[in-house]
Amino acid sequence: MKSRTLSTALRQWGTFLGFLAITLFFAWRLPETFPTAQNFLNISQQISMLAVAAFTMTIVMVMNDFDLSIGSTASLAGIVAAVLFAAGQPVWVGVCAALAVGLLGGVFNGFLVAYIGILPFIATLGTLTMFSGAAFMISDGKTIFGRDIPAEFAGFARFGIPLDAIGLEGAKLPLMTLAAVIVLVVVWLLLEQTTFGRRLYAIGGNRVAAELAGINTRRLRLMAFGLTGLGAAVAGLMYASRVASANPTQGAGLMLDAIAAVFLGMTMGREGEPRVLATLVGVLILGILDNGLTQMNVDSYVREILIGAIVVSAVAISAFSQRRT
Amino acid sequence: MQTLCFQGLTKAYGGVQALSDVTLSLSSGRVHALMGENGAGKSTLIKLIAGVVAADRMTVLRDGVGVPLRNAAEATRAGFRFIHQELNIVPQLSVAENVLLGHPAPRRFGAFIDWRSLEDRAASALSFLGADHIDVRQQAGSLATGDRMLTRIASALVADAGSPEPCLYVFDEPTAALTASESTKLFDVIARLKERGAGVLYVSHRMNEVLQICDDVTVLRDGRHVLTTEIAKTNREKIIAAMTGKQLSDAIPGRTTAVGKGVACRIRALATRDLTGLDLSLAEGEILGVAGLDEAGQTAFLRLILGQGRVQQGVLEVLGGPAPKSPEQAWAQGIAYVPRERRSQGLMLGMGVRPNALFPHLGDYGLLARKGAEVARTQTLAHQVRLRFQGTEQPVGQLSGGNQQKVLFARAIAKNPKLLLLEEPTRGVDVGARAEIHGLIRTLSNSGTAVILASSDLVELLGLSDRIIILQGRRQVAVLDRQAMTPADLLSRIYAAEVA
Repeated sequence: MKSRTLSTALRQWGTFLGFLAITLFFAWRLPETFPTAQNFLNISQQISMLAVAAFTMTIVMVMNDFDLSIGSTASLAGIVAAVLFAAGQPVWVGVCAALAVGLLGGVFNGFLVAYIGILPFIATLGTLTMFSGAAFMISDGKTIFGRDIPAEFAGFARFGIPLDAIGLEGAKLPLMTLAAVIVLVVVWLLLEQTTFGRRLYAIGGNRVAAELAGINTRRLRLMAFGLTGLGAAVAGLMYASRVASANPTQGAGLMLDAIAAVFLGMTMGREGEPRVLATLVGVLILGILDNGLTQMNVDSYVREILIGAIVVSAVAISAFSQRRT
Repeated sequence: MQTLCFQGLTKAYGGVQALSDVTLSLSSGRVHALMGENGAGKSTLIKLIAGVVAADRMTVLRDGVGVPLRNAAEATRAGFRFIHQELNIVPQLSVAENVLLGHPAPRRFGAFIDWRSLEDRAASALSFLGADHIDVRQQAGSLATGDRMLTRIASALVADAGSPEPCLYVFDEPTAALTASESTKLFDVIARLKERGAGVLYVSHRMNEVLQICDDVTVLRDGRHVLTTEIAKTNREKIIAAMTGKQLSDAIPGRTTAVGKGVACRIRALATRDLTGLDLSLAEGEILGVAGLDEAGQTAFLRLILGQGRVQQGVLEVLGGPAPKSPEQAWAQGIAYVPRERRSQGLMLGMGVRPNALFPHLGDYGLLARKGAEVARTQTLAHQVRLRFQGTEQPVGQLSGGNQQKVLFARAIAKNPKLLLLEEPTRGVDVGARAEIHGLIRTLSNSGTAVILASSDLVELLGLSDRIIILQGRRQVAVLDRQAMTPADLLSRIYAAEVA
């Protein structure tokens, strides 16, 4: 019993220790540029879009589902906003329309999965293609940029809250980071502190049992997919703001990284369940690796191999130790 | 004549003794029936001799010589073949491939499959069974159930070069999915296997078949051997008596209040996709037992009242109103359910006692989860069901079977249900927990909760029920007053239904 507790603890904390080790490694190799407040603020901004996508992806993964379409949803949301901006609509109209598209796309996924009964893998693979096609169609396959994108919209990604008050002269907390933190808090409250979230965990624990215990599993899955789609749209808008442009493929990389981050986080759960704070650790691992390896001038292809290998080995170690306990 | 002797078969799962010191002796050229109620140890015995589950103790002797039997491969090498009730065929593959599945396929040039020879071998195995009508090239998925069974048996017949002829065929409830004429065909096949000199172990609930085709019978009860005799020297009544054996235990508390006047559930000439001919009323505080052979419609009946399933004809009124349309509505109306399979249908095994007990009742706490109130309520409930646990956050997967079942009862009684649906509430539960659960059911009934109790445990059914509905083939065949019935009476009613 005692050794079991110990190995469970090691497994649960292994990923976190790995995260600390990576951070210390870069601090040791890059003492000038890595462990600085400015660099950490940069990292926080670099990962903010992935963070939002991964936090909201956690909502469906709590139910043992997942959503492959979030990258396309993010692209589509950016395109919808940009097209409306180009047509002279005010910023709020574009943003609201983009969010509505994300929410509806997610609800459509949820409908296919929960009410029609299609496996999430197949349903969201299908909508991935559909949303991507729609993004190309609406934009004519072109990148929308330059004067079409209003300065207020692009400015969001450039502004920050001055941190002089806490002794960081000239440093600013990016609004993008703030947005990710807000999403984190909202998702944490939703999953950990509301009846809604508890029911999602029940569905993840045993869907048949949840249904028989009077939990409306269909409606909840529909809602959860809707929220994931909404989160993807937020991430897509943040991305469009950051690059001050929108093209129909710019969200494509989000999906795999978001799922990888949730999986990394799941290795920290007592029973291997996703928790949004653990997802945060997963996102930080990916972000810090990317930042540190870039600074060390590691070739981007090698970087991809390394990141993939780390995700696979973390999950493998977790699966292995879970089997033994 | 060859004799296969399995001695001292013993197996415990966790704390539950599934099989204790059972000895079974099988002769070549004879069909030996293995009988017993659900949970008597029949399936455990089969798993042990199939090498699928490791025995705590077991000796296998062939004419006095030891036979190693530690895994499935050794069972096959010893010449044992198993035909299970679930028809394990691969529907996408051809009949020929299914027949040769698990055997090395004949090769051409050492690499490519020799399809002609494969089909010939499959065809000859099928033709021995008198099943020449099956085209070995068609997809197995397109076969009728009986032909699938024949395909499976043909597969068991195939002997590989260098390995001995199969010497023992074990049939586990083979006729459960067959029509009458398909069953007759199966009996012909068994007769041929017998002529060939093989031994047959035939596991079935169906008394008529056993009396018709078997030479010997062994009866198990509560994991122990109670009787072995020649069929010619016994009869239906004696076998049933051996199967039930135990007298009604007075440990099950009797009714202390009168059945209420109000109607909890009214069913008139009801038909659904799965059930027909249901017609009964259930009073407040009454306990209605549901009896029948495996899969006779018990689950469908309870789930119908839980809001799963649609009424096609007739009337179903629950708690004075229309029947719920979903489990969510059912729980909200005061209906609670303890499902048959606690691990797969009841519990979130990785989660704590608190969430597991309170999942249907989270709505009571409004939008925000309130941990303190939940912990307090869980402790009260745990005390009520006498749960033995290490804290409200202990994962239920760590609890014993009996305590897991009590968590489901805690969930069910949390809001004093008006109608309680129970399926096999004490299956795989130790004696102490069983008595506590029976006490709980009686207390609820005394306080006015109507109970529908589906159980294959006849003592439990008779001890608790006021009336018993007998289902057969997803149809109501009788509603009996429990008074003055013995387990043997009830069992013969369940089997009699089969004859009628």
